[in-house]
Amino acid sequence: MWATNLKVVGIVLGTLALYTLIANKIPQVQSEVPQTLTLGANVTPEQLVAAGEKVFNGIGGCTTCHGLGTRAPNLLTDEKGTGPIGARCGKREPAKSCKQYLYESLDNPTAFVVPGYQPIMPVMTKQLSPPQVWSVIAFLESEGGTVDVTASDIPATPSTSTTSPTGSGGGGGGAGSGGFAGGSTDPKAIIAAAGCLACHKLDGQGQVIAPDLTHVGSRRDAESIRKKILDPASSIAKGYEKLAGIMPKTFGTMMNAAQLEALAQYLAAHK
Amino acid sequence: MTEHWSLALQVAADTTRAYGEFPLIGARAAVWIAAEVHLMFAAFVLGVPMFAVVAEAIGIFGKDPRYDRLAKEFTRLLLVAYSATAIWGAVLVFFLATLYPKFWAYLTAVFGPSMWAYAALFFCESFTLYLYYYGWDRWKYGGPKWGHWGLGLLLNLWGTIVMFIANSWLTYMMTPPRDITPTTDPATIKLWHAIANATWMPINVHRLIANVVFGGAIVAAYASYRFLAAKTDEERAHYDWMGYVGNFIAISALIVLPFAGYWLGREIYQYDQSMGITMMGGFMSWLWVIQAFLIAVLFLTGNYYLWIGMGRIPGAERFQPYTKYLLLVLVIGAIVWGTPHTMIADSKELAAMGGSHHPLLGALGVMSAKNTAVNLMILTTFLSFLLYRRANTRPVVPWAKSGTIIQGAMFALAAGVVLFYGIRGYFVEAIVRIGFSVYQVLAVLGCIVFVTVIDVLMARGAQSLGAIQWGKMPPRSQYALFILAVTFTWLMGLMGFARSGIRQYWHVWQVVQDTSKYAATPALGYASKMISLCVLIFLTLVAFVFWLGGLAEKSTFVAPGDHEGAGGGRHVGH
Repeated sequence: MWATNLKVVGIVLGTLALYTLIANKIPQVQSEVPQTLTLGANVTPEQLVAAGEKVFNGIGGCTTCHGLGTRAPNLLTDEKGTGPIGARCGKREPAKSCKQYLYESLDNPTAFVVPGYQPIMPVMTKQLSPPQVWSVIAFLESEGGTVDVTASDIPATPSTSTTSPTGSGGGGGGAGSGGFAGGSTDPKAIIAAAGCLACHKLDGQGQVIAPDLTHVGSRRDAESIRKKILDPASSIAKGYEKLAGIMPKTFGTMMNAAQLEALAQYLAAHK
Repeated sequence: MTEHWSLALQVAADTTRAYGEFPLIGARAAVWIAAEVHLMFAAFVLGVPMFAVVAEAIGIFGKDPRYDRLAKEFTRLLLVAYSATAIWGAVLVFFLATLYPKFWAYLTAVFGPSMWAYAALFFCESFTLYLYYYGWDRWKYGGPKWGHWGLGLLLNLWGTIVMFIANSWLTYMMTPPRDITPTTDPATIKLWHAIANATWMPINVHRLIANVVFGGAIVAAYASYRFLAAKTDEERAHYDWMGYVGNFIAISALIVLPFAGYWLGREIYQYDQSMGITMMGGFMSWLWVIQAFLIAVLFLTGNYYLWIGMGRIPGAERFQPYTKYLLLVLVIGAIVWGTPHTMIADSKELAAMGGSHHPLLGALGVMSAKNTAVNLMILTTFLSFLLYRRANTRPVVPWAKSGTIIQGAMFALAAGVVLFYGIRGYFVEAIVRIGFSVYQVLAVLGCIVFVTVIDVLMARGAQSLGAIQWGKMPPRSQYALFILAVTFTWLMGLMGFARSGIRQYWHVWQVVQDTSKYAATPALGYASKMISLCVLIFLTLVAFVFWLGGLAEKSTFVAPGDHEGAGGGRHVGH
């Protein structure tokens, strides 16, 4: 009986040892707690780039998607012949500098979605502090481009995420407590800033991934549209069941009440 | 940025005795062990009643006392494991209250009334279990037997509600309702609002099925030990049968478990994309390669056990030449499933690899290939079971030949659908590809259901080629059952780490931050050591409580063919 007992113990310990060994042989990645990044008034571009690289490869979690070539565009290597991100960021959106474009990508990632990719990127200005955000921008600029981020771009104190690189509130198009597009109640500005056309088509513009909104008013009233924005899963348009869950649930919290009302009325008028 | 301010305030507030420390291993490891071992015992005592009550029903309806006695033996294991569950639950509560007092106060502020209900239901569950077990022989026949069976159902009901309540606490930590922020006073949160969070029901369903898998595996390991220690052929035959039943339950439930996991994963993605990406493609991405390896071990070992088992079935030699092909499919499937795809990598690693994916393995690492592999593995395992089931019979119904051809066609059709959508998935967008997995799953499930129905109809009046020679199993088959039990338990620990780890440095995701020195989520190497330690503690304690149970009780097996009518079955002590 002792021989049987020993064999059983041997099997159990051997199996546990095998699994533990394999798990210790693979690359070991620990999820770190965000560290406070303090950058002085005299921070140099080199310091910003070095700090940004650390955030990019670490707490920012950027490498989870960027660089794989499937979930998100390559940033550090060539992306379909356009070069690394520093070389192409200034040409992505008309009238937007590289710095403005990169800030918008982090603050309001659905505002411009590179064709061929899904709008899955989280709002990084909610997860990273301003110094972290700006150091990442400096690092990305350094990848094939020129670093023009300076200490003056970084807010002295934590502010809302709508802070834009231009300092005039015009470039970010982000959403904070004031809502999209700096709190504008112009439905077209809200639609542009929220990136609705990355999936929906409206008045001949946008993509056809999600339902065409050109005649949405004939299918839904303002109340239904309002509800749909606040809770996208509340009703799914026929034929789009497979896309259930793709529309972010956060739009309702990213725009203010006046914007929500303006957008609902605007879309309801599209009979 | 308001979040940063509130977090800073919270950090300041946390400095007032937010955390305690545990000697030698630290607070996190202490809570980890207490929670994990408690959960393992809890899974066992919730899973076993489910099939105990089913076995009892089979005994009642089929008038087969073997099943009734099997159900009683299951319940005896339950009885001794129950107090261990309660003890570890108490240890967990004491550890939380002393090592994480502030967080524990937060949880009690939100969930206090549900904790009282939990305690009350625990009483109900305990006393129902005592009545169920100790009343077994008293309420054995006629009407009282139905009442006894009702107690079994009630036991399951209490257990399920208790689990649902506990699940609400941990799922709230993962996916608190979006309107709850760091500044929300926990006392103002409506209880049902906190309970009915995004992942509550998916976790409930997932755990319900996983408990059955786990309970079956532990029972099979218990039976295999008893088999190896048996002194008589009758005893060996009984425990061989019990081990087979336990393993059958575990593998059957395992086949549907991935679908519940898929639902849970989908809810996590819907709740927070970044959480889902962290889980599947972030720092946890290697975890799924380990999971694939463990699942491969489960499939291979489970099939190996069935194939060895065919050695004790007269007529099974007809099918044994086919097992090498089944093995080939399983091995190829396991290799494909374990192929990494989107691994976390920095720029240097990407450059060293020559691109974002490995030039050859990248094509196998995508979901199309993995879904195809796992569905074919499930089909293969089902085919193994079907061959096992038919081994000692020869159907005599006039349509037997066409029935077999239809069954073969169903297998071919299901495999064809799985392969078609697997290959097609390479040429469509991700959102369309995700939908394909549903067709693949439906094809496999449809095949399993219809082939089983045909097989049951074909088995009517089938010619027997000889009775299964229970007990005629080589010892290596029983060691396979041990490997299954260890692997199931380890897998449970691993998935627990995945579920808990995706919260990263938050006690409650984006609401209550972990500001302790253990806030960073450890790498898989450290986690694996903790998991192995928990599994070892659990299995050691399980062996101990089963041994204790054996001291107090006599075995209740009935020799095959000994269908006594008045409860006079032969009892053989140990």
